[in-house]
Amino acid sequence: MFINHGLQELNLKVVYYGPGLGGKTTNLEYIYRELDPTLRSELVTLKTKEDRTLYFDFLQLELGRVKGLKPRINLYTVPGQVYYNHSRKIILKGVDGVVFVADSQRSRMGDNLDSLLDLEKNLIELGYSLEEFPWIIQYNKRDLPGVQSTDTLQAKLNFFGAPHVEAIAISGQGVIETLKRIITEVIAKVSICID
Amino acid sequence: MEGTKKGIGQQLILSEEIYNGIADILNELAGNTRADTIIFCETNGYPVTYKGDIKDLDLPSISALAANNFSATAKMASMIGERASFKFLFHEGERTNIYLSNVGFNFLLMLIFDKSVALGMVRVFTNKAIQALTKLLETAKAEEEKSKEFLDLEFKTLLGEELDRSLKL
Repeated sequence: MFINHGLQELNLKVVYYGPGLGGKTTNLEYIYRELDPTLRSELVTLKTKEDRTLYFDFLQLELGRVKGLKPRINLYTVPGQVYYNHSRKIILKGVDGVVFVADSQRSRMGDNLDSLLDLEKNLIELGYSLEEFPWIIQYNKRDLPGVQSTDTLQAKLNFFGAPHVEAIAISGQGVIETLKRIITEVIAKVSICID
Repeated sequence: MEGTKKGIGQQLILSEEIYNGIADILNELAGNTRADTIIFCETNGYPVTYKGDIKDLDLPSISALAANNFSATAKMASMIGERASFKFLFHEGERTNIYLSNVGFNFLLMLIFDKSVALGMVRVFTNKAIQALTKLLETAKAEEEKSKEFLDLEFKTLLGEELDRSLKL
């Protein structure tokens, strides 16, 4: 979080984390496409030749003033592929909240778990823990046939009882709800610490 | 300025007084270097202030790219045994160059300038500005707790209303 009283701005950093091909970039693409252009920056994507995220995607949202401050929400995705861990660590630096985008397909459970453990390990290195840090889980691809039930996903992935949202990011279902939820979670943590 | 860890991310707060001081130093640097654009941003890529022309530039995006560029090369520096990040990054274009340097641990300074401007001159005046900025930022104390008192439960409620208004599709 960065508060610039010179410009009366509150900057927050939200990182979309999760296994490769889980739908992190799709979330940002939907927000970029659907949101009023006056409320957002350009979408920056750094991709490989194969159209996979190489380093990160970036999108900034600007909300109207709240108590005199203009909130700016900086959204990042990380590359999901296992061997890009250095990149993920760099993107996580200064993070205020995490959206973990889980792939609901049965075949991806192992990848979801690996990525979640990788997230926890990287957060611990930064001095945080999933138990206390503001984060939510998005169960994506709910439209695909034969996906895991939400109960199973909750039992296997959500061991700290984080808020969860069901989504079909490609059609936008649950994307904005996820975004609102994580921003609220971040601010709730800060306001609890202050009050 | 400060950083706290209680299950919430690091927090940095910049007062209006320090912001104005930064603007003065950047004004002087702009005059000395003839840079087209000077951007001062936080190391997570949050733009703090700028001088010069940004009409065709997406400020949040270029600041985010600069910050992550700097972080990536800092990691490269540590991998080859350097104890600190590289002192500066220089990107040479056909017509325009970029010079990027850190200011302490929390901020970055980026100069975008025409190829006709001598790199040596940019380096000398940028180093001078960095010294002045570092000294200014070291004096930035207190007010932090007071500065974030407004992030209370009322703020949370009002933000929720603003999210519903702005993100209504």
